[in-house]
Amino acid sequence: MSWDKVGREDKLLSWKDVMEAEEYVYTVGYAGEEFFKGLKEGKIIGSKCPKCGKTYVPATLYCEDCFVETSTVEVKGRAYLDSFTIIYKDSEGNKLESPQVIGLVRFENAKGGLLAFIEGEPKLGGEVEVIAYDVPLKVRVK
Amino acid sequence: MKTNLFYRRVAVIGAGLTLFKRRIVETPREMSWVAARKALDEAGLELKDIDCVVIGSAPDAFDGVHMKGEYLAHGSGGVRKMVSRVFVGGATGVMVPISAWYHVASGLCQSVLAVAEEKMSPARPHPQSVFRYIWDPITEKPLNPNLIWIFAMEMHRYMYVNKVKKEDIALVSVKNKRNAINNPYAQAPANITVDDVLKSEVLVWPVNLLDVSPVSDGAAAMVITSEDIARRYTDTPVWIEGVGWTLDNTEWTGRELAYPRYLEHAARMAYKMAGIERPNKELDVIEPYDPFDYKELHHIEGLMVAKRGEAVKMLKEGVFDMDGDIPSSPSGGLLGVGNPIAAAGLMKAISIYWQLKGTAGKMQVKKPVHTGLAQAWGDLMQASTVVVMRN
Ligand SMILES: [Zn+2]
Repeated sequence: MSWDKVGREDKLLSWKDVMEAEEYVYTVGYAGEEFFKGLKEGKIIGSKCPKCGKTYVPATLYCEDCFVETSTVEVKGRAYLDSFTIIYKDSEGNKLESPQVIGLVRFENAKGGLLAFIEGEPKLGGEVEVIAYDVPLKVRVK
Repeated sequence: MKTNLFYRRVAVIGAGLTLFKRRIVETPREMSWVAARKALDEAGLELKDIDCVVIGSAPDAFDGVHMKGEYLAHGSGGVRKMVSRVFVGGATGVMVPISAWYHVASGLCQSVLAVAEEKMSPARPHPQSVFRYIWDPITEKPLNPNLIWIFAMEMHRYMYVNKVKKEDIALVSVKNKRNAINNPYAQAPANITVDDVLKSEVLVWPVNLLDVSPVSDGAAAMVITSEDIARRYTDTPVWIEGVGWTLDNTEWTGRELAYPRYLEHAARMAYKMAGIERPNKELDVIEPYDPFDYKELHHIEGLMVAKRGEAVKMLKEGVFDMDGDIPSSPSGGLLGVGNPIAAAGLMKAISIYWQLKGTAGKMQVKKPVHTGLAQAWGDLMQASTVVVMRN
């Protein structure tokens, strides 16, 4: 055993290889298509359960509680900041020119939420307005 | 003689499938929900009646989502429930009802929703690429093998040891694709001839294109309950009477390729539990795992339904046809229905369940059936799972 030794890569007998799929092609699904079509029209599309009446955002094909198929609805409730954080470094560890605020945006009377880039002075519970219907969403604090 | 007196009785009371096809529109979660919803509807249960959820899915890499069990839990009714995921490669599909069985047989749960899903189409250029991870990185990977190579060697060895001809093996593909014509969920039903199989493109000799099941997306689900619940919801429960699973040597080079010993062990376990002494006399209908045509014969021997090397003889006599003594793969099997790995195995168990319930529709075999068996196989080609059911 070599508890006390640090192996040097060039000294070890090793085999270098790359074993990856070239790419993945994901489908957004039925509900996802409605949601993305909505974004293009400047709308937030969710879905409403015919049984319990809950509205989910983003849209899902089925109600996770009742397990029945939902129908799509436009989510029009007031958008607010549920939580946020401030990013100072990118994923490589490089310092960002200016810190980036990201947050969880929820909508009144809807379950779920969307992650978003936040502009303006963030405040928990504060109302926000959508300034770019995109993934991720871009919102400004009102 | 039955030995399972200390287990609680376990029944299947509902099942559901999605279509098996290539590049399905639904997300893996949505597919799971479609199958799970149908299974609940057939059982007459709602999600609130379910105590726990068992999910089966093969490598994460197929769906391109890490921790796929957690991901699929949402569409499998697992939110705020006891959820577990089982994974034994290709053998996963039958491990799902086995796992659901021990959740109920132990007394832990009354009703289990068991869901299996696989979406093979996201990985490009071909789902085979995700199998690159399974080889020994130093002694095998440098050959840049794919799975079909290994199966080709196993098929060749099986043919050599048992003096079986390729045109005889092709009869399995002909039979299963023909059976699939009666299956509304099937992806590759066809009326083909032995000649079509032999003349199809050679992929890796001796494996031709029509010797192999297609690449598929699909989901399957079953509702598995205690005797109490089953009696309350149905007059025709189907009982899970025997389960077995085994892992043989995980080095594929460490095994005799001509005979699936991994399966013999799993089958013996299930037979003992179900009180089966002569499988070739006591099984009325079987769904052995058939991703390749020779595999069905290989597995029929491992199940001890045929003696070693004699599955071909019985096949040619028509024993395994829809109107034969032991109809085999009446669903159309993986060759005819498609092969979304875990979902394909559970589809085989569902086929047996529907046969025993008498609701298999156009797939229903001619003879009256009382005892059936479904089997799957996988991991590094050395794992097998078996479930025996009775009505
Ligand atoms: Zn609901």
